[in-house]
Amino acid sequence: MSLRVLNPNAEVLNKSAALHMNINAAKGLQDVLKTNLGPKGTIKMLVGGAGDIKLTKDGNTLLKEMQIQNPTAIMIARTAVAQDDTSGDGTTSTVLFIGELMKQSERYIDEGMHPRVLVDGFEIAKRATIEFLEKFKTPVVMGETPDKEILKMVARTTLRTKLYEALADQLTDIVVNAVLCIRKSDEPIDLFMVEIMHMRHKFDVDTRLVEGLVLDHGSRHPDMKRRAENCYILTCNVSLEYEKSEVNAGFFYSNAEQREKMVAAERRQVDERVKKIIELKQKVCSGNESNFVVINQKGIDPPSLDLLARAGIIALRRAKRRNMERLILACGGEAVNSVDSLTPDCLGWAGLVYEHVLGEEKYTFVENVKNPHSCTILIKGPNDHTIAQIKDAVRDGLRSVKNTLEDEAVILGAGAFEVAARQHLINNVKKTVQGRAQLGVEAFADALMVVPKTLAENSGLDTQDVIISLTNEHDRGNVVGLNHHTGEPIDPQMEGIFDNYSVKRQIINSGPVIASQLLLVDEVIRAGRNMRKPT
Amino acid sequence: MREIVTIQVGEFANYIGSHYWNFQDELLGLAEEPQGDPVYKSSSLNMDVLYRSGETSQGILTYCPRLLSIGYKGTLGSLSSSGSLNPRISQPDTLEIVTWPGNVTRYTAEPREKNIFLQSLCEEGTANLTSNVADQGSSHPQRKITDKERIECLENGVQYWTDFSKVQFHPRSLYELHGSWIDVEKFDNYGIGEEILSAGFQSEEMNERLRFFIEECDHIQGIQFIVDDSGGFSAIAAGFLEDIADEYSNTPVLLYSARSPASYKLGKSPKESVSRALHDAVSFSRLSSCCKLMVPVGLPSLSRSKFSSTLFVEDQKLFHSSAIYAASIHSISIPFRMESHGVNAESLYISGAMDVGGMVQMLAGQARQNMITILDSALPAHFLNDANNQSTILRSLCSLTPEIEENNDDLHSIESLIVHGAFSGGRRASISEVEKFIHTEYQNELPRPKLYHLTAASCPLPIPLPFPSIFNNRVGRLGELSTTRLIGAERRGSLEVESIPMAARLRSSSAVKPIIETRLGSLRRYGLQRGGFGVELLRSWGFGKEEVEDMGEALGKMMMLLDPNACGASSDFDSD
Repeated sequence: MSLRVLNPNAEVLNKSAALHMNINAAKGLQDVLKTNLGPKGTIKMLVGGAGDIKLTKDGNTLLKEMQIQNPTAIMIARTAVAQDDTSGDGTTSTVLFIGELMKQSERYIDEGMHPRVLVDGFEIAKRATIEFLEKFKTPVVMGETPDKEILKMVARTTLRTKLYEALADQLTDIVVNAVLCIRKSDEPIDLFMVEIMHMRHKFDVDTRLVEGLVLDHGSRHPDMKRRAENCYILTCNVSLEYEKSEVNAGFFYSNAEQREKMVAAERRQVDERVKKIIELKQKVCSGNESNFVVINQKGIDPPSLDLLARAGIIALRRAKRRNMERLILACGGEAVNSVDSLTPDCLGWAGLVYEHVLGEEKYTFVENVKNPHSCTILIKGPNDHTIAQIKDAVRDGLRSVKNTLEDEAVILGAGAFEVAARQHLINNVKKTVQGRAQLGVEAFADALMVVPKTLAENSGLDTQDVIISLTNEHDRGNVVGLNHHTGEPIDPQMEGIFDNYSVKRQIINSGPVIASQLLLVDEVIRAGRNMRKPT
Repeated sequence: MREIVTIQVGEFANYIGSHYWNFQDELLGLAEEPQGDPVYKSSSLNMDVLYRSGETSQGILTYCPRLLSIGYKGTLGSLSSSGSLNPRISQPDTLEIVTWPGNVTRYTAEPREKNIFLQSLCEEGTANLTSNVADQGSSHPQRKITDKERIECLENGVQYWTDFSKVQFHPRSLYELHGSWIDVEKFDNYGIGEEILSAGFQSEEMNERLRFFIEECDHIQGIQFIVDDSGGFSAIAAGFLEDIADEYSNTPVLLYSARSPASYKLGKSPKESVSRALHDAVSFSRLSSCCKLMVPVGLPSLSRSKFSSTLFVEDQKLFHSSAIYAASIHSISIPFRMESHGVNAESLYISGAMDVGGMVQMLAGQARQNMITILDSALPAHFLNDANNQSTILRSLCSLTPEIEENNDDLHSIESLIVHGAFSGGRRASISEVEKFIHTEYQNELPRPKLYHLTAASCPLPIPLPFPSIFNNRVGRLGELSTTRLIGAERRGSLEVESIPMAARLRSSSAVKPIIETRLGSLRRYGLQRGGFGVELLRSWGFGKEEVEDMGEALGKMMMLLDPNACGASSDFDSD
């Protein structure tokens, strides 16, 4: 209250108005994202004021592009985006779930029920649903050789909601192979070891997996080979450019001769380093057909490039920091920070290194490597917005495979889990709850149905019919999902529709937390600029 | 040739940059003009230092700034973030979507109208392309827009920094930060910038784009970095600078931390003013810790400064104030792109070449190690010889750095002075004349700086069409200053003034003490007071007690280096 006294401009909403503001915001956001969901959803094309085009079917990308001003909506959006950050998917579902929880609550609150009671019911239902999820999940054993089929099914389920079927299926193989390539037993999967590179060139179906690495730059010397086979790869972080040392700043010298001398001495040091690399090349390449490639994180200046080119070495400068790590994983060898102790053991190997030029863009392919633990997904497409959309989808696909490997479990998709969980809550859990909190459990259970309902709606099916036939099947003991073509129940297991366990778990965890906070708000004080972050 | 990569972060920085690149574009154009002033053709300034050659995917050759501009999403106006080189998709409504067979919803934002100036630029561009085929006469009726109208439209309605830019940018040059639903107005403190930087891949993308420009440099001499440090962009810049220091450890960074007159009006309530004070302190401390030379610029008001004797600046217009900083930064960058002829080589057009590293080393690398430098500027510069046949250029320089001691007689100051396009007795002075006059002026100057370096060039600052009309009627066509008022418009712009002589100076002096003192004071007053609002605020920005103490210590050390006698005084602060 003191705030109102202090700031006469602050706008105070009473409890009921505040609650309805929150409910409306949640519903509003739900309406925008709803059409995204599922393999029959609607793609969004966003055209900016300056003609920039963005194409997305991903809730996460769409939310980030939207200009949201309502603080409640921002709070939901932040939760949904955080969902994506941690588990890689489920943004749309989170927003839908929160929206539906609010919508269901509205009914009861309008009838005079206190939000506190609902929230208590939510808490009980949430715990019960998580327990149910544990029982419902399909465990997958991921030993030394994981079941590739199940990984593919999960990836395909995700990708088919973002891209047309043929492309989705093509990318399914790519993302599964990519994750399996970088996977090392007993180590967490680092998806950064899959480089995602793109070329604005040709068509989306030319997207491929490169077992090896693609770098977005080329050598900077006209005499260096554009294509070489049987290559030793030296990965290094050594400056091969002449740097004026601090004492050598020009104005300290009274005459040009003295300065020249200093310059020459400095230059010599750089040349020494280059010579050491050339010596190593001579050692490993003499008398055979192999080639030598230097990939350096630091700079290489033209005189050094000259020396290297004359020795028949291909040299790339200013490689990405992360590529230093990837190169070692792809080609072997080790990254060296000094040329003083170079041995042939430091070197990696690639069967083929070649350059591809598109306008001013250059790409260097390091391919045909032995036993790679890093790889590149090379996305091609005719324009930037197509490439960006495919890239988003690939990221989601990679995450889904990683999640599956880490969860060692999957969840039946196509709405099967949601329907089963609802029936479990209504038929079993509700009875165990005392008093009006039962209604909270019921609201929660009905809110879960937003997923199958929206899937049906987006497929142009009658929601009521679909829900009835699905719940009937479940009551008969058949775990079924929705066939989005016919509206008939299907067995997701047979169809190979699987979702990530961790994604589902997080949605169920975070949704009710936010919804409860929004329901329990007493008063909203809008003091203008001060309200930076709703907490 | 040694390349420079320029980075602009934040709104005011981009305004300054926009003028800066307009000057470069004008220089390029004037050098090619057949009937142009020979002073531009033989400027001996190598534009390749700042520009890169490339080609578009259609195979058209391009020449674009080596620039990375970072701004808030939506602040590019009518310019697409992929630059103006790639052909725009003309009808997005009918565009075929190849990746999705299902339904499509299109959300089309209201197209941002190009102003008259940009429209005429566009038409000129297409006219140039077609002029080879079409008869010259036929394109004439189209030229309905007069230069006057174009200038007026800019005077009255610049909304975005791109509104007055005539430069073509590389597709990788313009990066828009996604703010996760924070209003631009609320993007006004260090903490909020930090928050944005930590989310998603934004800093990675910035680093990648910079790497693109640096990879193609054969031998980069330095990075010229302009940051709008009045708000969240300080944190963006600090994070970026840290990555740069890490990745390109031997590349010196020359940092201009700029603020617009408008930023001084922020934060009037007690809480807000604490927040401002802490922002200033944190921003200063973080930015100074990760560059080699820092130049704070941005007076609270230019219209009430000494510059008002020759200029009419409307403080509320970023378009106006940024032009002055851009002109001065242009002058400072002149020695970096002189074709080097060795130390003793004489040239008719230039003398005193220096690279970024040299400049940094000279100003900050001496005994005192002071890396906070003052920018002074004379715009336009006086005649080299006044009535008494003596140069008054040094005395006419005014500071663009705020909060400094006005009458500081520091015997240890170090200066780098750049004079270009100066006049002597009604004609352009030769390089040797400039040197003679300036050296004499330094001889008579008291106190004399410990060390100074002079760069002279014959090429003046050209005034491009989109330069604001800010000269008063003492400034002549070539920027000569007359004692009497000239007839004609009271405010003179690019139609009345073609070019101006300039002088600018970077000065390392103990006159910067108040800047550091104020910030150190705020840190100690608000940042280390147990349980205070300031401590809470700093914590929410991600700075714990130890980090704040470290910052305070670093600032205290800076103070001590400038004034070894004051160390007693500064430790008094603690007991307050």
